[in-house]
Parts: sequence; structure tokens; C-alpha cells
Amino acid sequence: MDWKNEPVLLLDGAMGTALQKKGMRPGESPELLNLTRPEWIREIHEGYLAAGSRVIYANTFGANGLKLRDTGHTVEEVIGAGVRLAKEAAAGTGALAALDVGPLGALLEPLGTMAFEEAYALFAEIMAAGKNAGADLIAIETMTDLQEARAALLAAREQTDLPVFVTMSFDPSGRTFTGCTPASMARVLEGLGADAVGLNCSLGPREALPLIREIAQNTHLPVIAKPNAGLPDPVDGHYGLTPRAFAAQMAALVETGAAIVGGCCGTDPDYLNELKKMIAGRTPGQGGFLPCAFVCTAARPLPIRGVRVIGERINPTGKKRFQQALLENDLDYIVDAAVQQMDAGAEILDVNVGYPGVDEAAMLPRVVKALQSAVDIPLQLDSVNPAALENALRVYCGKAAVNSVSGKEESLQTVLPLVKKYGAAVVGLTLDENGIPDTADRRVEIAEKILRRAEKMGIPRQDVWIDCLTLTVSAQQDQAEETLRAVERVSRDMGLKTVLGVSNISFGLPSRLMVTQTFLVRALQAGLTLPIVNPNQKEIMDAIAAHRVLSGEDPKCERYIARFAAAPAPEKTPEAGQMTLRDAIARGLRSEAARIARGMLRDTEELALVEGHLIPALDQVGADYERGIVFLPQLLSAAQAAQAVFEEIKASLAQKGGAAVSRGRIILATVQGDIHDIGKNIVKTVLENYGYQVLDLGRDVPPERIAEAAEREGIRLVGLSALMTTTLPAMEETARLLHATANPPAVMVGGAVVTEEYARRIGARYARDARAAVEIARKVFSP
Amino acid sequence: MRVNVDDALRYAGVRVPSGMDRAAMESRAERVLSLSPPRFLYRVFALEAGENGMLLTEAGLSLPGALARKMLSGCRKAALMVCTLGAGFDAMLRAAQARDMAEAVLLDACGSAAVEAGCDAAEKEIAARFPRMYRTDRFSPGYGDLPLESQKEILRLLDAEKRLGVHAAPSCLMLPMKTVTAAVGLADAPQPARIRGCAICALRERCALRQGGTSCGLEE
Repeated sequence: MDWKNEPVLLLDGAMGTALQKKGMRPGESPELLNLTRPEWIREIHEGYLAAGSRVIYANTFGANGLKLRDTGHTVEEVIGAGVRLAKEAAAGTGALAALDVGPLGALLEPLGTMAFEEAYALFAEIMAAGKNAGADLIAIETMTDLQEARAALLAAREQTDLPVFVTMSFDPSGRTFTGCTPASMARVLEGLGADAVGLNCSLGPREALPLIREIAQNTHLPVIAKPNAGLPDPVDGHYGLTPRAFAAQMAALVETGAAIVGGCCGTDPDYLNELKKMIAGRTPGQGGFLPCAFVCTAARPLPIRGVRVIGERINPTGKKRFQQALLENDLDYIVDAAVQQMDAGAEILDVNVGYPGVDEAAMLPRVVKALQSAVDIPLQLDSVNPAALENALRVYCGKAAVNSVSGKEESLQTVLPLVKKYGAAVVGLTLDENGIPDTADRRVEIAEKILRRAEKMGIPRQDVWIDCLTLTVSAQQDQAEETLRAVERVSRDMGLKTVLGVSNISFGLPSRLMVTQTFLVRALQAGLTLPIVNPNQKEIMDAIAAHRVLSGEDPKCERYIARFAAAPAPEKTPEAGQMTLRDAIARGLRSEAARIARGMLRDTEELALVEGHLIPALDQVGADYERGIVFLPQLLSAAQAAQAVFEEIKASLAQKGGAAVSRGRIILATVQGDIHDIGKNIVKTVLENYGYQVLDLGRDVPPERIAEAAEREGIRLVGLSALMTTTLPAMEETARLLHATANPPAVMVGGAVVTEEYARRIGARYARDARAAVEIARKVFSP
Repeated sequence: MRVNVDDALRYAGVRVPSGMDRAAMESRAERVLSLSPPRFLYRVFALEAGENGMLLTEAGLSLPGALARKMLSGCRKAALMVCTLGAGFDAMLRAAQARDMAEAVLLDACGSAAVEAGCDAAEKEIAARFPRMYRTDRFSPGYGDLPLESQKEILRLLDAEKRLGVHAAPSCLMLPMKTVTAAVGLADAPQPARIRGCAICALRERCALRQGGTSCGLEE
């Protein structure tokens, strides 16, 4: 049977509910019943087939390496048995047997601690087992984390040639538990090569209706609806809808575009019987796909309508401090650059980490993960290194843009397949083997060639964005007009979105901002939709705000008014100019503290500023904290003002090419098993602002890794945090390993369940709070 | 639903809040409730005293130890609940940590108070479903001698992974971060308040609030 030939394809109903009825005990593994109670599984399949199911899901939902770990059975064995039972039942009916793949049961980063690569490996094992057992298709279902669904889908694509259905589970707010929207899900999974997408579980058909509509508007693929039999009664857990009511509500989903239907929790063959009657003679409604340029994160879909600002600041070119951060692996600095741009109005961030001495193929995915854990904004991956691009596309959760492909044959051949495979958008540079053409005509020709090649690969035209290239006007004055002409033609005649790095225009001129701003306004007028700019420059964002008023993108001028109404006139406080560094730090005024430090650095050595001003100021706040005059939030505000001063000091040193100020290097980690890390992060903030360099190993860190890092880096002080009594043994083991190294470092411990006595017993110092940690560090590093 | 901002400020270590502190915490609470409101699940089970503690017969679960026995001995039924702010709050907190650690500490505390407000709401709903029954205090794994491991059992019984996106790590820590599991007994006669106060708390010896001379507010 070819599943695509059915006007409305009928799946099956619940497996779990049916197994409970058969007598499965609470807590029992449903998948092991493939081995111990094959007759139950067979009967359940037969029930659904008799009711008319054309695809039955094998009893393999939770059969993964993680859940089967201590059962004495392998994935191959359990999946093999499950798929074979489904195939035997389906034999002779023409129905298909699907390998059913559910969530792993562990949360992926950044919410949990499982790495994407680890999840991929577990799914790869499942997919290979399903294929070997002869599954006809793969049904990935009940996913709530888009990243986990991506890992599963990639594994299915790379390990098998089978059709893949993917459904996620949404709650009544219209999002999955991790915040993924139906639009993001549909666009991302279609881009990644799913054959059908939709939703299952969690809701009844009535609640699912608006979600099915949103999914249908965001995909060309057949849409799947496999909801529950209504919502369960909270007191006893029973599902409310009768089979007939269920089928009646499902009819509305089919009208809205669902072409593949079935039931989830609470449904049985009676529901399927009614569904079968309902779909007889019906064809699904038109889903109303809305083609548009689009990028997203899981939680933030971003259709490109009107002007969308791309922030350019995550780029080491010409930025000494950024280069230093890259070489030192200082991801916090890069995340901070992202936060600032986002707050200033960037809607997409360009991410470029290419610099001599940096392993871009390893660094770009690392930076993508760090950014995605802290800021929710689509990224444009900017690299000429195909390995870096692929590694980053693999881990990017959402639909990314790739910057860039060019008209060069080699670039077309290496970059476009990656864009296709990962379902990204791509920026096409209008240059080729002969360089940048000096006429608009020739640039448009290259744009056409890039579009042709992309479409031939199956990349939709709205995913091809063209960069007509800004040349420095002081060097090639005639080129500014050519660029603008090319933008206009690509935008108007080809109907493509255009990207332009705007800032470059004014290089080498005085009052650069004036030229940049004027060029930006003209480019927007010519049809530029995706300006790459520095959003921290107020004048640039002002010009874009004004453009949005004139173009009508800002209805009723609301955003414009809010922008300028919110900005208070620069007010001269009486104390401005008289405030000391100590005041600014005590009051937690970051920009003021930085400004004062900049002034002081003109005639004060960096180290003298730290020892003579910064530390005494922090000590004062610390003493007030201990006396109960200021509280933890103020202590942290002061620490962050101090951090702003440290940034000035680092920038000053980077400019001179000097070594960084470090009063000592400290490892911090939350011990194995412990996944809550705000306490450790508080200590980190405070220590860093006393000038200590913190190597943050993160959370849930195995003892061996901490000991190994301490030894390798020659660390003299290690700080460990534990929150639960259940993780204290891991703390103890870590301390033991550290004491056993050749040159044992001092160990300090803290966290909700740690006491002074416990610390003493494991040979560690007790850090009651962040202040105490500073005192310990002082003693350890005192000369 | 109302978040107790005084509790939140106390959790954040702000011992003497100003009017501005309170107002800022109010608006933080509003943001949490709108962007990542508490969601909960509960189920009500029949109860009997068993050899290994109080037995929820239908669920095949026993709540071992003296605390559960003391709390539930006069009860016919027990409600098990889980309440979470969800992954959205964790994302908010990660973003806040990247921006401003001081704000993150306040937000974290606000989340703790918000999840309690969610538990209160769940309890209110249970009370409305059983208008003629009396409730015990709400208690959670980790209180007294009720083992943390019961958390996993409660999550499993409520199918919380699938229905609420809540997971427990092998260390019994739950994700999303602001998640609480709890039990409430339902009896035919009024139940005394039994567990309020530091005396019963497992964190008694190391509680920072207690060391500072205050309490988390659960003390009578």
C-alpha cells in the first residue's frame, strides 16, 4: 500500500490504554510485553486492523537504550519483537507497520543535561533496529522538545530510507511544554525532511483545531491529527469523549486540512470504527499554506515580513576584545554581545567566530549552543568553513539562515547541499570566480544563477536571500549606486528578500554614522528587507523605526511613539560627574561605573585600579551585606557593576596586548546528579568581580572530569555545589579524587544541604555563601 | 491566582523590603503568571494502612515512614499532585542570568513563590471536588522521613512526564526547576495542622533562613 494514495489515511488508537485494560501493572515496561505477552500486542493490533486502521504503530514507543538499560534486554531485541508483531498482524491486510518512537525520557540541553549528540546516538540505534526488523515507516510521536524531535528525525533520515511521520504534543496554550510553536515545528521538521507532520496526544480534537490550522498554514506536507479522547478527568484520569463525539470533532480537523488521522490516549477500536465512518468519502480541506521567508527558534517563529534587523556584532573582525574572548573560550562575553543586540532591537543575530587560532568547526556549534541557551532569537550562521556550518546547523534548534553561498562553483556545490539537508535559509552573495561585478546587471545575473541552483536542489525560493554587496564608498565611489540598483532589481523583479551589510559603506570616512544612516535609508527604499547593522547604534535603529512608520509596517506609529516616548531626555543629575567608582559600584550602576573606570584608566594602571579602587568598593558592599544592611540582590548588582569595570580593564589590556588581570584561577562545578545551578552561578558572578578567573565546568559534572580539569589546568582552588542529599555522595567522591591528585588543590563546598561539619569531614572548606567563597579564595591565593 | 510576594522577597534574602522592592516583585510575579503560569495535575486515590506505610491501593503505591502515617492515618483518600511553572520559566531564568544576576535571584525566588501559589490552586480545586471532606496539610517528599524517591512514584502515577513535561533525574531532582510534588489527605473529620514549622523540616540544621533568625513562613 502507498500511504500517499489514501485521501484520508487512518492510523490506529491508543496502545498504553489497551495494555492497561489487558492487565499491565503500574510501572511495568510496556515494551517488554513484546517479549513476555506477545499475544496481547497481537490482539491489540488486530483490533485496530479490524476497525480499519491502515497504519498500525508497533509497541516500541519507549524502547530506547536509556529506558531499557537495566532490563537485560537490548534495543535491537525489543524493537525487533515489536515490529515483527505489528508486521505479522498487518500481513495480508495491506496495512503498514510503523516503528513507533517516543521521547527518550531524559531532557536535552539546555533544559536538561543530555547533549544533542547523545540523543542522536540513542535514536540512531532505534532507527537502525526498526529498519532491520522491516518497519514500513517511522512514526516519531509525542515529542515536546523540538530539539529532541530534530535529533530523532535526523537519525531516521541518516539511518534509513523509510517515510517519517513526526508529531508533537501541545498543551492548551498552543505550545509544547518546552514552548515550541506549531509554526516553528512545521517549518523546521519539513525543512529537515519529514514526510508528514502534526500533533498527537495531550488534547482532544476540539482543543487541537486551532493548532491543526496553524500547522497546515506552515507546511506543504500532509498534516497528522492523533489527539486524545478529550481531556482526562483530573480526579480519576478517565477521558471524556465518546467514540461518536470524538469522530464528530475529528471531522472539523479533516476539514481544516488534516489528512492523516487516528487516536491517542483513551481511544480504542470503537473510536477507530467511528473515525472510519467519518472519513469515508471525505477529502481533507485546503490547509492554506502561507509561503514566506521564515527563520525561527522553537519558541519564536519569525516570518520575514517588512524589515528585519540582523545584528552584526558577533564577529571578531577588527575587535580586539572579541578576538581575546574567542581565544580564551569566553562564551559569556559572546552571550553578552547577543543580549545587548537583542535588547537594542535585533531580530536575527549574525554569528561569526572565524579567527586565526580558533577551531571554527568546533567553536561555531559551541557558540550556537551557548547562545540558544540564553537568548531566544534566530541565528544567521556566518562562515566560509563548510564543516563549521554543518556542525552548527546540526545543533541549531529551529530554522537558521546560512551566511553565505556565492556564485562560485565550489561554494554552490558545498554550501547548498547543507542548506537543503538542514532546511535552512541561505544568503547568496552576488560574486563569483571573477570577483564582485561592478554593474548591477551582472550582480543580478549571479543572483539568478544562485536561485536556479538552489531551486534545483529543492530549496524553496523564499529561502534564498540575496546580498548585493556593499563596497566602501570612499574607495569605489561609483559602486554605491550599483549596489542600490541591484537591491531594487532583486527585490522587485525577482521577488526575493535582500540582505545587505550596511556599515561597510562608510569605512575610512569621518562621521561614518551619517553616511551609514543615509545609505541604509536609501537601501530600505530600494527594497532591502534584511539589513545587517550594529543595532547598538541608536541612530541606525532610529532610521529603521522611522522607515517602518513611512512604509506602514508600524501600524498607528505605535512602536515609533513607544520608542521615543520611552527614551527620557538625558537628565543631568546633580551627582553626575561627582560620583566615585565606589558609589557607582555600591549602587549597582553598571554604565556609570564603566564610564568612571574609563576615565580613571587614562592615568591609572589597570592593576592599581583593581587593587586600589575596585576591591575596596566591593569589600565595603560585602561588609554591609554581612551586617544585613544590603541584601543578596544588591550584592549581585554591585558585583555586576564591578564586572562592567572589569570589562573596561580587559578592553584596555587587550588594546595594549597585555596579559589579563587574574588574581587566581578557580574551577566551579555543580556535582554529578545536580542540575540546578543558580547558586553556583551566584558564586561565579561574585568571584569574577573580585578578579578571579572562573573555569565554569557547568552542572551535573562527573567527579573524574572535575579532577582531570583541575590537574590539567594546574588549579589551586575548586568550588563544588550540591543541592540535594542524594548528590552529596558525588561531592564526597569529587573531593576524594581531588585530594588524590599529584598536587591537590584546596576544595570549597556549598549548597543547600552542605554544612560546615560535613565540609570538614570531606576535607573541604565551607563556603556558606558567595562572600565566604571570596574570603576562602583570598586565603588560598594570598602570597 | 496570587503570588505571595513577601515570601518571594524572603526567599531572595531581602529581609527588610522597601515599597519599591515589593512593587517590583509584584510586577515580576505578574510576568511569571502570564508567561509561565503554574500548571498542575492531581489524582485522588483510596487509602489504607499497610505494612510498609500508607497504601494507595489502586495505584499500587505506598508512602512509607512516620510522617505519612501521621498525616494520613485518619484519611480515607489521598490526593497526589504535581505543580510546575514549566520549561518556560527555566528559559526566563537562563535569560535573566545572562543579563543580570541580581534580577535572576529575585526571579528565581518569585518562581518558588509562584509554584506554591499553583499548589494552593490545585488544593482549592480538590477541595471543591470533595466539599464534604476535610484536608490535611499538604506535604511533599523530602519532608520529615518521606523519602525523596517517592517523587518519582508520584510523577509516574500522574503520568507527569507526558502530561506536564516534568522529569525526575536519578538524583530525584526534578525538571523543570520550579516543580513541586505533594500529597494531601482527605478525611471525614477535621484534620489538625501538623507539619508547619522548623521542627519537622529536613533542612532544619542547614537552613539559611533559620540561621538568619527567620523562617520560610511555614512555621506556626
